[in-house]
Amino acid sequence: MVAPAEIPPLVQVRDLHVSFRTGDRIIRAVNGVDFDLVPRETLCILGESGSGKSVLLRSLMRLNPPRRTTVSGSLQVCGLDVEHASDNELSDLRGGAVSMIFQEPLTAFDPVFTIGRQISETIVRHDRVSWSEASRRALDLLELVQIPSAKQRLSMYPGELSGGLRQRAMIAMALSCRPQLLLADEPTTALDATVQIQVLVLLRRLQQELGMAMIFVTHDIGVATEIADRVAVMYAGRFVEEGPIGAFVAAPMHPYATGLLAATVNAAARDIRLKAIPGAPPDPSRLPPGCAFEPRCEFAIDACKTGVPELRNLASGRSIRCIRVGAAP
Amino acid sequence: MTSETLLSVRSLTKSFSLKGFSSFGRPRPRFRAVDDVSFDLLKGETLGVVGESGCGKSTLSRLIVSLMQPDDGAIVFEGQKVGHGGWPLKEYRRQVQIVFQDSYSSLNPRLTVAESIAFAPRIHGASKSASMSAARDLLDRVGLGPDQFAGRYPHELSGGQRQRINIARALVLRPKLIVLDEPVSALDKSVEAQVLNLLKDLKSDFDVTYLFISHDLNVVQYMADRLLVMYLGAISEFGPVQSVYATPAHPYTAALFASRPSLSPEKRHVAPPLTGDPPSLINPPSGCRFRSRCATAEPVCAESHPPLFPLGDGHAASCFMVGPGSGHSRAPAIGTTTVPDTGARH
Repeated sequence: MVAPAEIPPLVQVRDLHVSFRTGDRIIRAVNGVDFDLVPRETLCILGESGSGKSVLLRSLMRLNPPRRTTVSGSLQVCGLDVEHASDNELSDLRGGAVSMIFQEPLTAFDPVFTIGRQISETIVRHDRVSWSEASRRALDLLELVQIPSAKQRLSMYPGELSGGLRQRAMIAMALSCRPQLLLADEPTTALDATVQIQVLVLLRRLQQELGMAMIFVTHDIGVATEIADRVAVMYAGRFVEEGPIGAFVAAPMHPYATGLLAATVNAAARDIRLKAIPGAPPDPSRLPPGCAFEPRCEFAIDACKTGVPELRNLASGRSIRCIRVGAAP
Repeated sequence: MTSETLLSVRSLTKSFSLKGFSSFGRPRPRFRAVDDVSFDLLKGETLGVVGESGCGKSTLSRLIVSLMQPDDGAIVFEGQKVGHGGWPLKEYRRQVQIVFQDSYSSLNPRLTVAESIAFAPRIHGASKSASMSAARDLLDRVGLGPDQFAGRYPHELSGGQRQRINIARALVLRPKLIVLDEPVSALDKSVEAQVLNLLKDLKSDFDVTYLFISHDLNVVQYMADRLLVMYLGAISEFGPVQSVYATPAHPYTAALFASRPSLSPEKRHVAPPLTGDPPSLINPPSGCRFRSRCATAEPVCAESHPPLFPLGDGHAASCFMVGPGSGHSRAPAIGTTTVPDTGARH
């Protein structure tokens, strides 16, 4: 989907491929992704493990291991050509205009420094203010993310906080330099149900108040429904369907997306047999030459095996990568 | 489903002391992971156990399969106590098996999957050939062709396939009860549905009873006949799945259900149903353990832990709001019972 001409996109990804070398195999994690993200927009990337969603997110900040990674295509993030940027330009981008939050805050924080020290360090690095000014701003940030008794928490170590508070502290650190874009890699997956919804409501409020754009990676359709403006379903390193979240959950179109929603257990399903998708996702080092979902697809025809389908734009602002759906009769 | 009791858990209590705390001669802080839990498991049912991390659901599962010994209380299986002159452990474990969340770490990486499945029959005296043919039969029953899969090692399988192996291994001794501790939590949605379907099929084929532990309320609603809701080591609500989901009586159960993400962007949450994290088990609130997060807590809630008040139809909740004459302003008067409006759905 192309953004209206008057707003330049914050993120522009064109024909992105990312692969890794491990031993004698080449793992093709991302295989041709195109998308634009405009300011203040939330895009959810929905996919199962191994679909390439985290690799895609990491490549936006060039966080994949440099020696083993091969990237092609163009990647513009906040006006910077990420693949050709210098190390200094990248350091300014990371934690400045673009920040990232992770699934497990305990491993994302350094265990031997206090929360306050780690948040302040980011502020000192990017905004070149004094440490005392930075720690005052760190306190404001902890209050912004609704951490109770914020002042005491500043001097605590990551291991002393509960999972929910740690995730809030990580959000505070990510917001410390007022990013234009927040990248979130399954930030609520490790949290309990009652805490997950708190963090989702908080993230949505902060995104609106601070005017950030967000790219949110998740495997949980419920999480996407709570937070996304648009959703992109990823399978074997490609977007197979993309569009506004409301239209998507009401009527998914790609056979994989339809199958995923049908396989999601919900209250109505109790006495009905679940409609599972047979088989498993393809090995990313041995992708089929045609549509990657073809081996599991109940609608597959011979033509599906002969080439990767294009991501076609439909009139409704949605796009889909399937030759069987939405084709003109 | 008959209402014959297969297993009774009676006043089960297990506490742990905190490791890594420098004690300097003082006793280490202790916490009760499971605190005075009692319930009956009926023959042929699926009992769902839900709760957040630290609520004691996994400790409960390990106590039930006797991987841990309780500090207090007892487990009674088919009318006879487990251990202490009752069921010998080896015989008990033949009847009660467990499937864990992590399908990889629960398999021996050096055994082929057929050897893993055949291991328990060998221990229980079956010949090598009989064990191997039982293993091949079970591979077939869980949907993995024995010719293709018997000789494979765990690392050669996907997560869903490995979990099928664990299920086959749990079934090979023809147990009466299988404890399923988050069996699908590590699986992707499309694979989760396959495994849930398989578990439902096997349950009727093998005539087993399930204790199904999960944090996923949708999965439990799909699988379970009755539901046990735990909070900080104690039961907060218990009852038939339909009536607990339709009319949750405990404010924690209600909040847990309300925290589920909506599946419609028009019905997004504007405010979270609960604030804060579950409190630490080391220093739980006095009285009702939920009162520190409860919107309707009153002074009576701080005085003692509410017992399970029966609500009719086997539904019970540990909350003073449903206890007749309990002293809570919302409690019904003595002599009346609040039977929740069941049957609203299904």
